[in-house]
Amino acid sequence: MTITTIGIDIGSGAVKTVLFRQDGGNIEWLAKRVERIRSRDPQELALAGYNEVLEEAKLKPADLQYVATTGEGENVKFATGHFYSMTTHARGAIYLCPEARAVIDIGALNGRAIFIDERGKVLASKMTSQCASGSGQFLENIARYLGVAIEEIGPLSQSSKDPEKPSSICAVLAETDVINMVSRGIATQDILKGIHLSMASRLAKLLKVTGINQGTVLLTGGLALDTGLLAALREELVNEKITGIEARNHTDSISAGAIGAALWGAFRFDRLRQLEQRAAA
Amino acid sequence: MVPTLKDIMARCEALFEDLHFNAVKEWKAAVPGRKAIGFMPVYVPREIVHAAGMLPVGIFGGGDQMEVIQGDAYYQSYICRIPRSTLEMGLTGRLDCLDGMLFPSLCDVIRNLSGMWQVLFKDKYVRYIDVPHNYLDSVGGEFYIQEMQTLREDLGRIAGKPISDEALNASIAVYNENRRAVQDLYAYRAQKPWQAPTAEVYLVIRAGMVLPPEEHTPLVRAYLAAVDLEDRPKRDKARVVLTGSFCEQPPLSLIKSIEMAGCYVVDDDFGLIMRWLLDEVPADGNPLEELSKAYLHRSAQQASKFDEKKEDKGKYLLHQIKQGGAEGVIFAAASFCDPALLERPMLQDILSKQKIPYTAFKFAENTGQMAPIREQAGTFADSIKLWSDA
Repeated sequence: MTITTIGIDIGSGAVKTVLFRQDGGNIEWLAKRVERIRSRDPQELALAGYNEVLEEAKLKPADLQYVATTGEGENVKFATGHFYSMTTHARGAIYLCPEARAVIDIGALNGRAIFIDERGKVLASKMTSQCASGSGQFLENIARYLGVAIEEIGPLSQSSKDPEKPSSICAVLAETDVINMVSRGIATQDILKGIHLSMASRLAKLLKVTGINQGTVLLTGGLALDTGLLAALREELVNEKITGIEARNHTDSISAGAIGAALWGAFRFDRLRQLEQRAAA
Repeated sequence: MVPTLKDIMARCEALFEDLHFNAVKEWKAAVPGRKAIGFMPVYVPREIVHAAGMLPVGIFGGGDQMEVIQGDAYYQSYICRIPRSTLEMGLTGRLDCLDGMLFPSLCDVIRNLSGMWQVLFKDKYVRYIDVPHNYLDSVGGEFYIQEMQTLREDLGRIAGKPISDEALNASIAVYNENRRAVQDLYAYRAQKPWQAPTAEVYLVIRAGMVLPPEEHTPLVRAYLAAVDLEDRPKRDKARVVLTGSFCEQPPLSLIKSIEMAGCYVVDDDFGLIMRWLLDEVPADGNPLEELSKAYLHRSAQQASKFDEKKEDKGKYLLHQIKQGGAEGVIFAAASFCDPALLERPMLQDILSKQKIPYTAFKFAENTGQMAPIREQAGTFADSIKLWSDA
């Protein structure tokens, strides 16, 4: 049976929408949208993304079997069900990188390390505490102070020769630190690399706590494509003596949550259908 | 005019938020000489208060909108919040409209609160309501009838006339009707939880703590009629029983968070007094004997109620799960709630043996951080939906 589903991930920085069609083990990704929120209503963006992916795939709402939300999407009115973001990032990671056995989901507001199995089942997880200094929003703020475009952050950071780490993990104090660094004449690339190392150090520690010690870890979420952060994470994994883990990203890492939602939606549709058939029998 | 759902919920919300009990004051002012008697969770025989012509008023703590200052001075930091906020309400005059307070046998803290109330509010009637721990009619039943008889005589004295058997039987009939309505409400929610969210059901139940039953029963019926007309989509959520909140109540935002996170609450133990007696109490016999028999043989189970036989432990919870078609259980107990937290491992052991998934957390009536609750309830719902054996 063909099952067509949409997954919508409302994050704090962007709304991601994907459309999938499944027939047995055959999974087809039909359409995707990633829309930065930029002070707009996320609910409206979710509806717009939903309509756009349907239009792209030349489908109608009636063709859908399940609309799944994740992230902050609990209140999306047209959703069939909602999944917690950890659950969906785990499933999305397995879709994007079948050998992944851990996920680092790092978005605008926080970061989380998730230890998973080959089915995408969460075995353990650990999230950053309330402090925002491990988040994408913090990095974005710093880049703005430094006059650096977001897409320049990664390459600049990787060109650093003498990184300068902020002395505190508190976002407020770290921002003050950065101001001091600028006045001391520290090069922009060294500041950015220092921040990347600081964030990566926290992420590596989170990963260690989940219990994973070998396999592939996939970066997901809004910061997953930051090459500077990925490089810093690889360095910090060595520093933390977690040598059996290979950190990777994927071009669609940002959509991992939405992908997981769509795939779990299909799973639920099938399971509910089976339960109904069993009850009827 | 038939009230709309919006009107009904606005009224229930206003009653819930009013910690000055203006509804009680209005009820008393309507007929000079009327009296109101407060009671704490979990169960008191409200029929006796009602038969005395008085209004039984449920005092379920100060919730998350009231700051506790004086109340904290009376309790150590390792005591739950409901006695503090109840004292705060008493000491700040919010409970002045009550002519007495009943403290049911629930735990040491509430028992001690009854003693403190006697010392602090000397002009009020205060009674600790003891309940039987032996379920033989000839032993526990006799004891309980004596307890109720004392309450009956006391309230008759305060009312200025003895409470007759006829008045008691009439009150039993009124509460039978109220219980039927509440049972229908719970059955409706178990059947269509997307139609009657628990946050609304809870407010309707809480309204019954301050309204006379003659007013509350039609309110419940009106809610059922109004909510059935609503067009509310059915979502794919995990069906859960929420248990452990029989005394101190979670904030409304916590109840909303659980449902928002992906759970349909199909049964709970909020305001359990409304459903404590499981069926009709005969309204044509010896009233105290019938109330006693109902308590001994046909009442709900909960942590403060003694289980006579070990194999009885958890029976009521398993019944709730089966009747509500629940897929899992959320243990939500107030921090430092001895009865709920001591009972919890025993109930969890029973659920484990039955392979029924559960999760557990603690709260206070003023808990403000909902993110951890949402995370826990959300991941629990996901684990049921994706990884359960069903």
